[in-house]
Amino acid sequence: MKFLSNVPTTHKVFAALVLAVLYALPLFVTSPVMLQIFILIFFYAYLTSSWNFVGGFAGVLPLGHSAFVGLGAYTSTLLYLTYNISPWIGMIAGGIVAAAFGLLIGLPTLKLRGAYFALATIAFAEGLRVLVENIEKLGSFEVRGPKGLLINLVGNSFRDFQFLSKVPYYYIILTMLVLVLILTFFMMRSKVGYYLAAGGEEPEAAEALGIKVSKYKLIAMAISCFLTALGGTFYAQLVLYFYPKSIMGLDMSYEIAFIALIGGRSTILGPVLGAFLLRPVGELTRIYLGDTLPGLHLIIFGLVLIIVMRYQPRGLVEPVSKWLTAIFDRIENRRRA
Amino acid sequence: MALLEVKGVTKQFGGLTAVNNVDMEVQEGQIVGIIGPNGAGKTTLFSCIAGSHVPTKGSIKFNGTEIAGKRPYDICKLGVTRTFQVVKPFANKTVLYNTTVGAFAKTNRLDVAEEKAMEVLKLIDLYDKKDVPAKNLTLPERKRLELARALATEPKLLLLDEVMAGLRPSEVAEMLPVIRKINSVGVSIVIVEHIMQAIMNLSEQVYVINFGKKIAEGDPHKVVAEEEVIKAYLGDEYVANSH
Repeated sequence: MKFLSNVPTTHKVFAALVLAVLYALPLFVTSPVMLQIFILIFFYAYLTSSWNFVGGFAGVLPLGHSAFVGLGAYTSTLLYLTYNISPWIGMIAGGIVAAAFGLLIGLPTLKLRGAYFALATIAFAEGLRVLVENIEKLGSFEVRGPKGLLINLVGNSFRDFQFLSKVPYYYIILTMLVLVLILTFFMMRSKVGYYLAAGGEEPEAAEALGIKVSKYKLIAMAISCFLTALGGTFYAQLVLYFYPKSIMGLDMSYEIAFIALIGGRSTILGPVLGAFLLRPVGELTRIYLGDTLPGLHLIIFGLVLIIVMRYQPRGLVEPVSKWLTAIFDRIENRRRA
Repeated sequence: MALLEVKGVTKQFGGLTAVNNVDMEVQEGQIVGIIGPNGAGKTTLFSCIAGSHVPTKGSIKFNGTEIAGKRPYDICKLGVTRTFQVVKPFANKTVLYNTTVGAFAKTNRLDVAEEKAMEVLKLIDLYDKKDVPAKNLTLPERKRLELARALATEPKLLLLDEVMAGLRPSEVAEMLPVIRKINSVGVSIVIVEHIMQAIMNLSEQVYVINFGKKIAEGDPHKVVAEEEVIKAYLGDEYVANSH
């Protein structure tokens, strides 16, 4: 495969090994609690990787991506509850709805720079949440406002995207994550990737080189929102009950941004690393301190972010990959010797 | 037909007229210089041609197509690419990456774009730095990268905004053959420059601008002897004394 030709062998072997371990993990780890933690790590890594298309590569900072998680979850679930359409099809429909919304808000806001774009996306996400909370019925769809949606249990059914065991969910989200990472890999090595990086860093210079920066940012936004919404459907099917605050609340948006910034934006593995570091913290504080100190994990993330930004402003993926590369080089040299 | 035809271009910012009714022509294969004191409106005129500014009045034709008011990326697609006085590299990316961004203007394939970029880097003498991040380059190298990136878009007309500003005389001397080399592969050039040595050396035709108006044009060696030009650069007194 030509596109892999300049990836060193040790990297390939390492990646294959990690994948093999992750795919074999449910054979050894049977505790549903542990599996749930892994599922949420992959879920957040997936969301952050989707966010990365616009938040990383297009060089803006969206802080309202939970809105697209919500749009995905609501679209597929409403289609399922009202017309009994399989959530797998609803998932795609949700992606399209989210991409359309993404384009709609991207059109006026992607020209804004820095904090202004971030504020605009927060406003949109909060606005949408309040809107959904106030809708009881939308045409033939029972939206049920703040009460949220409950998906009735039907037992193990692939068509209904429901499983009694955590294992199928584990494989679905792991595969979704792997696919989005592969997509990221190809995007970075394509014209779109180059143009996004250029437009994000020096828009004026990029335009002089023939790049219609706003067009490429919109493409990134549409891809990002589409993928994020697929995650929303997955989450809906995982928890089977959700309401506006739980699925389109800002804390989810912030957590995505925290994971991206701490892990490393505009890299392939930054979101994965970030999710592996932060998600367990979120999960443990919720289990042990959820009643007394809800939201503590966000405070911890904030502190971690300050420290990381101070010492590794481009995220932890940089030192970690340097460290790994050094080990790989040593292995490679020893193999040759 | 001239490659570039500028007619009666005026650019006003509020009450200030930065460029006032300027005419200018570039023939295919030419190197044309624009000179003038600080704040004369050279860069503004330049930005009007490149699409960064929309002229208040006048017409700009490239290859017979009206480009006044078009956006920079459309003008680039037609074959006019500019560089910036204050270099704007994609700092964290390598020299090759920077240049490849330019080369994507004519292709959708990474391998084709990278090949084009390497060809350009060889022409510009930057090939040995291709894997260095742009932020680690010296100023003269950054200026050359700015050139390489613009050249990778395969322009018919290259607009160079003070590519030699801030360079030492020896570095200027190194830059001149590079620009001539670019011209020799069939790229016409408009160059805005302060450094007279460079302009006199390179251009066949110069336009002198002061207070937004064209005050002289023609052969560079003749133009610098004109009274108006001396006045603009050195003040009225100098002209009076020299008589």
